[in-house]
Amino acid sequence: MKGPTGMNDVERAPGPYAAPRVGAGIRTSLVRWAPVAVIAIAAVGIWEAVVALEDIPNWKLPAPSAIADALWGDRGDLARHTWVTLKEVLIGFGIALGAGLLLATLIHMSRTMERVIYPPAIASQTLPIIVIAPLLLAWVGYGLQHKVVVVALISFFPILVNTVDGLRSTDGDLLNLMRALGANRWQMFIKAQVPHGLPYMFSGIKIAVTASVIGAVVGEWVGSSEGLGYLALRSKSQFLTERVYAAIFLLGVMGVVLFLAAGLAQRVLVPWHGRQRGGPNT
Amino acid sequence: MESTHTKIRTTSIHKAFYENGAHLSALAGVDFHASDREFVSIIGPSGCGKSTLLNIIAGLDQPDAGSVELYGATTAQRLGSVGYMQQKDLLMPWRSVLDNCILGLEIQGVPRGEARTRARALLAPFGLEGFEGYLPHALSGGMRQRAAFLRTVLLDHDVVLLDEPFGALDALTRSHMQSWLLGLREDLKKTIVLVTHDVDEAVLLSDRVYVLTASPGTVRTVAEVKLPKPRSMEMVGDSAFVKLKLELLSALGSLGSRVR
Ligand SMILES: Nc1ncnc2c1ncn2[C@@H]1O[C@H](COP(=O)(O)OP(=O)(O)O)[C@@H](O)[C@H]1O
Ligand SMILES: [Mg+2]
Repeated sequence: MKGPTGMNDVERAPGPYAAPRVGAGIRTSLVRWAPVAVIAIAAVGIWEAVVALEDIPNWKLPAPSAIADALWGDRGDLARHTWVTLKEVLIGFGIALGAGLLLATLIHMSRTMERVIYPPAIASQTLPIIVIAPLLLAWVGYGLQHKVVVVALISFFPILVNTVDGLRSTDGDLLNLMRALGANRWQMFIKAQVPHGLPYMFSGIKIAVTASVIGAVVGEWVGSSEGLGYLALRSKSQFLTERVYAAIFLLGVMGVVLFLAAGLAQRVLVPWHGRQRGGPNT
Repeated sequence: MESTHTKIRTTSIHKAFYENGAHLSALAGVDFHASDREFVSIIGPSGCGKSTLLNIIAGLDQPDAGSVELYGATTAQRLGSVGYMQQKDLLMPWRSVLDNCILGLEIQGVPRGEARTRARALLAPFGLEGFEGYLPHALSGGMRQRAAFLRTVLLDHDVVLLDEPFGALDALTRSHMQSWLLGLREDLKKTIVLVTHDVDEAVLLSDRVYVLTASPGTVRTVAEVKLPKPRSMEMVGDSAFVKLKLELLSALGSLGSRVR
């Protein structure tokens, strides 16, 4: 029996709040991911077989083995371009995170700020990024900063909107209680609204990291001489279709890894989430 | 002398709310007082303004007319001078039980370390020993409510306002909580105002019981509870207890149409 005994009380809390055993963790992961792996391997196998049996030309649809060859054969080049794109994504996302949280705080603090910030923020999202990106080229130039701005522009919005919603949805009764205990606005913000808003912020971050990858590719298509998006575009015009697919594969992996990293950060920073009622459904 | 002895005194409190143009009178002249270390209960039909009265005493709201005297002084700035607890435990899901308990002290600027030390000393009487590191979601309803109560009394305020603190608990847990509070009552050395809809609870715990009328709330009657102390749960069978309970029920108007 865990937990103290001998309480002359019928109620007893469930087991203590402890991390699950590591061995059990690995076993459940295996059980959970085995079907996914089976399906993925089957899909790749069918793909390979169809390409071989139907004799589909390489420029139309390369076989997985051909893509794997491209991945391995061009690994030096691909690694360099991956690093370029990753850098654009990370810097752009970092700026988006900072800007999103700052603007969310301002909107939360003042109705005037809300009226000033929200309309242009929403407008920036209704215009297709593919239209804005070339215009930005004229403003910020051709280099890394252009890609970073496109990434930031596309990914600050989900962070902003979710964080504002999170800050606002704090239980009014809790805020009243704090007020009754003598709390000032800052204490209510720091001790209640910020922690309450964290899970919402992470919902925004998860959307934002995946959007970041799209932003980097769009930026590279509009004007760049490096990065996975650029590489895919160039390889297409050179009829190196398997390298296009290799670049797409790496972009996909990047998106998934960033998403998982965001999830991991959430679990570390918001360990209470999912163990309670309420909160956003993510 | 009198003013230091009387911790709370409200005089002819009026309060109305305006919602979508409609005027709703919640309190229509409530005189209420509680003395040092007195345990006073307020019962009344739901919607009669009990919570409104507590909100006004706590300073969350101001009366339209009438005055509130707290610790002998009449001031509009009452926030932060009483302990306050509601039906919802309002524990922060991201804080451990211990850190939830020190919220009030933290707001007052007491350093966390010192606040935790003070809270730890109360864990045992509040039945929370061994659970201080848990997150609230892992606790039973009764334990959560005791944690919320510890948070409330840990403050040095002489006055504690309890708004249906056991209202959300099941009957068995509630009666456990009542007997627990009964045992703790004298040690707390506080002036306690308890809003409840449980007449047994009011009689058992209180020195005096206010019965409010249906909306708009006014004081229908105030009853002294002259049962000997220390009280025990067994007293609910005593004839004096039953007599007072019937009086209160009839003042509430709930005898004619008995459902419970
Ligand atoms: N903030 C508010 N705005 C409008 N009406 C309110 C507000 N607070 C309370 N009321 C109304 O005042 C009346 C008394 O409410 P309350 O004090 O919560 O009653 P009780 O706690 O006795 O059940 C109710 O009719 C309620 O709808
Ligand atoms: Mg109420």
